[in-house]
Amino acid sequence: MVIDKKGEVFSIQTINLTKRFAKKKHRGVFGFLRKNQQKNKQKDDVTVALDKLNLSIRPGELFGLLGPNGSGKTTTIKCLSTILIPDQGTVTVNGFDVQKEIAMVRASLGMVVGGERTLYWKLTARDNLLYFASLYKMQRRHAKKRVEELLETLQLSDRADERLEDYSTGMRQKIAIARALLHDPPILLLDEPTLGLDPGFSRQIRSQIRELSEKHGKTVLLTTHYMDEADQLCDRVAFINNGKIVAVDTPNRLKAMVKEKEVVEVAVYCPPPDIEKQIHSILPDAEVVKLIRGDEDEGTPSRIKIIGGTTEEHIGTIIDALRHKNIRIGSLNVGVPTLEDVFIKLTGAKLTEGGIR
Amino acid sequence: MTQSIYEPSSLRGNLFVVWDELVKNMKFLMAYPVIFIFWALFPILWFIPFILQGQAFVGGLQSANFAQITGSGEYIPFIVIGAVLNSYVNTLLYGMGENIRREAYQGTLDYVFAAPCNKAYVLIGKALSESVSSTIFAASQLTISALLFGMNLTLGVLLPVFFIVILLILGLYGLSLVLAAFSLMYKQSHDVSETIGYIFYVFSPVRYPIESLPTGAQIIGKLIPLTYALIIVRAIMLLGTSLSAMYWEIFALIIIDVVFLLAGFYMFNWMETKTKKSGTMSHH
Amino acid sequence: MEKNKEKYRLREVKCPTGVNWTNLRAELSAIWQSNIKAWKIDFAYPVSFIRQLISPIVFMLPYILYGLVLIGGRYSENLAQLVGTGDVVAFIFTGYIMMGFIGTAVWAMGFSMRREQWFGTLEAIYVTPASRLGQVLGMALHSTVHQGVGTIMQFIFIYATFGLALNVSGILPALAIFALMMFALYGFGIVIAALSLILKEGWIVSDSFYSIMTILSPVAYPLIVLPTLAQQASYIFPTAPALIGIRTFLIQNYVPEVVSNVFLHLIILSAAWILFGVLVFHLTDKYVRKRGMLKKF
Repeated sequence: MVIDKKGEVFSIQTINLTKRFAKKKHRGVFGFLRKNQQKNKQKDDVTVALDKLNLSIRPGELFGLLGPNGSGKTTTIKCLSTILIPDQGTVTVNGFDVQKEIAMVRASLGMVVGGERTLYWKLTARDNLLYFASLYKMQRRHAKKRVEELLETLQLSDRADERLEDYSTGMRQKIAIARALLHDPPILLLDEPTLGLDPGFSRQIRSQIRELSEKHGKTVLLTTHYMDEADQLCDRVAFINNGKIVAVDTPNRLKAMVKEKEVVEVAVYCPPPDIEKQIHSILPDAEVVKLIRGDEDEGTPSRIKIIGGTTEEHIGTIIDALRHKNIRIGSLNVGVPTLEDVFIKLTGAKLTEGGIR
Repeated sequence: MTQSIYEPSSLRGNLFVVWDELVKNMKFLMAYPVIFIFWALFPILWFIPFILQGQAFVGGLQSANFAQITGSGEYIPFIVIGAVLNSYVNTLLYGMGENIRREAYQGTLDYVFAAPCNKAYVLIGKALSESVSSTIFAASQLTISALLFGMNLTLGVLLPVFFIVILLILGLYGLSLVLAAFSLMYKQSHDVSETIGYIFYVFSPVRYPIESLPTGAQIIGKLIPLTYALIIVRAIMLLGTSLSAMYWEIFALIIIDVVFLLAGFYMFNWMETKTKKSGTMSHH
Repeated sequence: MEKNKEKYRLREVKCPTGVNWTNLRAELSAIWQSNIKAWKIDFAYPVSFIRQLISPIVFMLPYILYGLVLIGGRYSENLAQLVGTGDVVAFIFTGYIMMGFIGTAVWAMGFSMRREQWFGTLEAIYVTPASRLGQVLGMALHSTVHQGVGTIMQFIFIYATFGLALNVSGILPALAIFALMMFALYGFGIVIAALSLILKEGWIVSDSFYSIMTILSPVAYPLIVLPTLAQQASYIFPTAPALIGIRTFLIQNYVPEVVSNVFLHLIILSAAWILFGVLVFHLTDKYVRKRGMLKKF
């Protein structure tokens, strides 16, 4: 653990964590024959994935890292788990430096990555877990006992000897979580653990995460771009955008940054592409006007979020403007700020967007 | 009246499918220049041990026993021709099955097969791209070998060889369709194509004349298109025999080609239907 | 939600670390389990498994048949002049069994990390406290046993088909030479494993080294047939001195092409390749983690 100057204890701490990646442009087989464009060559050659990131997570905390695709969530997880070496800054996990005490860091944490193949599909669930138990340096008899315990808890004992290729995605994710818990680590890193799972399995996984934090006192760092998940589960949430932490606080205090009367959400069908501009022209004082496209074939309308100090007073104007343009209105909500609203207000970008405006 | 943009069953439309498939696969190949260079050069390393073995065992560049069996004692060109043609066969066979598997792995196979075009033309495009790349590699290997080991490569020799290679490709197309069919259903075309490669390697006269095998093995060898291709090409390049003098071997090669092609098309259609019914097409 | 701070507690790390007997035992166990895992995955592809068992015979046979056809029999005068024995079958058999173990180094070990990348498990393995080298050594163990089985099958096939005359009394020293060769090959394999992580087309590295080592090793011909420069280059790799040593003990009348202390040569090569391999692996490990290349395939 790390104790800072104020005497606070942290399970995970990053100070000025910076990570850059070189961009690789594919110019085709004969690209070397084309002239190189020299303008801003240095700047364009590097992506700054993490830009002096400062994060402090207390023991036993369920901490959420919320941000859109490409904001630096996975890069943060990789730096903490020793898969990536930071370019600058210090990172400590369970009091161990990730660059100097690598083995101790790896022994202190378990990691779960969502939406990917991370297990041996040609092996059974039991074989997978026993194998990884050996990599966590567990004694054989202890490992067998622990594997049976975990399979029992996850209600997969009767399918433990089936190959993972015959499992559903949700069941495989459960095995991935079991793997992370084999050696009973004090810290868990969960990188979008519910990605690609159906609502039923997602609920189960979230319930397990909550139990791990509340009952077992584990420190959990959860990265996600699902705001509901962060809102439901996390003790504290950090917004990350462009590799930087934009805000950190409890979900309630973050939502309080956007006052109830400031948020109006209108569900619409077939909005024109320039609807944001049009509403801005009617409400020049609105801080944010954001169109979030829905999937109308699936019955999900698009949503226009308007955030601003006097937005609630101009609801009538908004409805008239939409009707005048023959835009069909589905519903209208006033004053229920979500974490996404806070994120939009702070950064101008959506949580579900890839990249940043 | 709107003009339809679809030409589902016209020859022109199908030829475009073949062309686009060919161009797509060639772009994949060019995206990996190291692989391209590797296949153009490195198979030469695989037969150098046989050349050195020859020098150690006979102490020169001619083998009296080879001359007695094949009519020419020059074992080095014998080995080179066998190696280049065998490498050609392997890249073609392996390439087709792996092409399909790569589509499945990338998740595009379902979309290819759901498209309204005739799937046979997609496969022809794939086979054509493998043929083009294999031909480039084989030509490169042959040219370098000719320079290193002093082989005669005149147009009068190369044209009939090219004709025989085309006949060989036709037979291999049929076999590749069989492999593609296996790849659709069992996802392990790699093992099947390797096993076929083993059979070709042992029973065809790749490294030694077919006459040196036991009778039973020779019968198996004579069912393989590569056997006839090797016999004909060696006769042309090493003995100066004309194509017309090899009519019996050419006829046998054509018969085998027809059998393999028919079997290949039938098996592929059958497997495709079976896979669609079982819903396992995109599994990998 | 408010939480009771008394619930917070930091648990100590439970995995053994550092230089001690418990940690060493745990690392050896991880190597053994990597080997077992490889066998289990092999058995999940039965067609491939059977094919790999017979492939040593398939690839050795052309060398023997070609050799027999070249000279029209089993005895080569020229070979006898070069190395004292003209029995081509015994010469090729003792040489070819080594090729499988070259494959252990360049393919099994060399491709071990790449294979994990392909499975998608490399990052999951990297996050565990066990040494990365354990993966590579686990594959080395698996492949050595695999090749051992293949060698026995080759021996049975050749003995049954062609007959084979070997010095039984030379088996033990031949095995000692073989063991030293394997240590050096393991070191070499670790280098290939490291390189395959950096290079996108890692299989090309493995194939190139396999081909080069096959040429430089006197598998189907005596070393003296190679150009002088190639002969000198062959002594960097353990297979050339090992083959000469093994043949000296196993084949009657065999006169080694080069007279030297095979045992000392192999001990030095083993130490050199293992140290070099571990160093390259350690540097590459840092490099790929710096560049974020672990996931790339």
